[in-house]
Amino acid sequence: MKNKEIPKGLRDFLPDEVKTRRKMEKKALALFRSYGYKEVRTPTFEYLEVLEAGTCRDIRDELFLFIDREGRIVSLRQEMTVGIARMAATHLREAVFPQRLCYIANVFRHVQPQKAQYREFWQMGVELLGASGPRADAEVINIAVETLRTMGLENFKISLNQIAIFNSLLAESGMTEAEKQLVRHLVEQKDLVELARVLNDSHIDDEVKATIARLPVLHGGIEVLDQLGKIEHNRRASAAVAELLKVYEDLQTYGVEEHIVIDMGVLRGLDYYTGIVFEGYSSELGYGLLGGGRYDNLLNQFGFACPATGFAIGMDRLALVLKEPDEEPAHYLVGGTVWPRIVTKAQELRAQGYTVETDVQACSRAELERRAQQIGNCQVIYLD
Amino acid sequence: MMQNDYLTIALCKGNLLRATLELLAAAGLPHEGISGDTRNLVFTFAEAKLRYLMCRPTDVPTYVEQGAADLGIVGKDVIVEQQKDVFELVDLGFGGCRFVVAVPAQMKNMRLKDLNYRRVATKFPRVAEEFFRKQGMQVEVIKLHGNIELAPLIGIADMIVDIVSSGRTLRENNLVELAQIMDSTTRLISNRVSFRTKFNRIEPLVQIMQQKAKKGEGQ
Repeated sequence: MKNKEIPKGLRDFLPDEVKTRRKMEKKALALFRSYGYKEVRTPTFEYLEVLEAGTCRDIRDELFLFIDREGRIVSLRQEMTVGIARMAATHLREAVFPQRLCYIANVFRHVQPQKAQYREFWQMGVELLGASGPRADAEVINIAVETLRTMGLENFKISLNQIAIFNSLLAESGMTEAEKQLVRHLVEQKDLVELARVLNDSHIDDEVKATIARLPVLHGGIEVLDQLGKIEHNRRASAAVAELLKVYEDLQTYGVEEHIVIDMGVLRGLDYYTGIVFEGYSSELGYGLLGGGRYDNLLNQFGFACPATGFAIGMDRLALVLKEPDEEPAHYLVGGTVWPRIVTKAQELRAQGYTVETDVQACSRAELERRAQQIGNCQVIYLD
Repeated sequence: MMQNDYLTIALCKGNLLRATLELLAAAGLPHEGISGDTRNLVFTFAEAKLRYLMCRPTDVPTYVEQGAADLGIVGKDVIVEQQKDVFELVDLGFGGCRFVVAVPAQMKNMRLKDLNYRRVATKFPRVAEEFFRKQGMQVEVIKLHGNIELAPLIGIADMIVDIVSSGRTLRENNLVELAQIMDSTTRLISNRVSFRTKFNRIEPLVQIMQQKAKKGEGQ
């Protein structure tokens, strides 16, 4: 017998699962389009230096790397944003901006497979290119909220942050480069115990210390910004806080603030993000559902200075928390003794929008009834 | 499964349990009847909407990362070896021990550098490998599941990396400490999402436990 294994972390999708996925895709695309987002596709694999652009940490462990026949290193795409940034910097320079783009795509990461974590998984998302400012951020965050709502999800929150608050407080903290790097690492690892220890040992202003220590767990309504302590002397941090407030107000205009929390712990791995960042969670799943933010420097990596913001939703995780799909309309199984009548009847019903299977094996009525029962929600029409 | 309105805490069976129960008591959480000796693996307190899972220590970070538990109480030694994606919230102060490199007593005058390319037996391959790599050394790591001290005695390894608290086990097996790697104490960890979705329940616990741990330090 031939080998039936598939590589670790991958999976097959059976008809019911694909049906659920297609429904999600349809709803999401309709929503994205209603905001003027146009769907694009980029290559499934790209040169390593493209996919690494803009990331400051080493992501090679996570990538599926291989060498093509010309000897260049290529990688399966680990996300879509970088590919779209490259595409826009190459093909859309002359386009009218802002450009609104969206995608539904499979991406690949060499992670330890477990629940809600696969090596090939699906993402859908939007990228708003060529617009800076809080309104652009609020637009994509609002679309993220609406997408989850459209899918029927109720219990979810979007955690919102402005990454420059952390970055500029750290930059002007008076710490040594080595300390800063360590603090970043610990915040990224979410090791608050060690973070407290490192801050305690460093020789910086106590108030700055306290603020940096508090940031990763500062969480709540817009009023938590008052707990930041004195940051007026740090111009960039103050500006970032003001921007965060503005985005929150703009989201109130959309009427989605019930889903928004301010969360200074959201730093998105300190990757290519430059401003507003956000993540979405459902209380029913121990992993994040979506993530995104502003990445104003990424397109410049490809020689095209252009501000941008966007998000991606993990479809596999979303599928895990969605309720059972709604009832399907009835499905017909048409059989009988006179083949032309079967075909005519089936075409009639299909024209009315029904799903119709014709019996191609000349089964008896009893056999068809039995089969219909196995299928479920299926009606037999037997023409004799 | 993680339920919406319940707070689920994964606890370690074994020698951390007594101190853990004292901590729960101090934090005002129900804990009556919890014991590692029974076959009961889940303790539910419906009124307080609280549930405890009794786990092997090495499973606690996994339960928390996957959201089967919102919080976990487990040693840093386990956390650092597993590298799970969890929040590490509070150093609870108890269960202190340290990671060390130990060698047979007759090798006690060796320097660490002399052990390059040697074999090390350990329950903590990640900790061991990272430590030696940081020293610019390469060693062959042999993963064992228990009785690490035996490995040098029977010659399948030249040294061990293990956690010690009093050092008695090392002495009894005629081993000596050659280098310290890091200290470890018990920590409160949290699932990344729970920390956000159940913030109102978790945050007060964090405060209480932090205060309790600080008091403990002063004693």
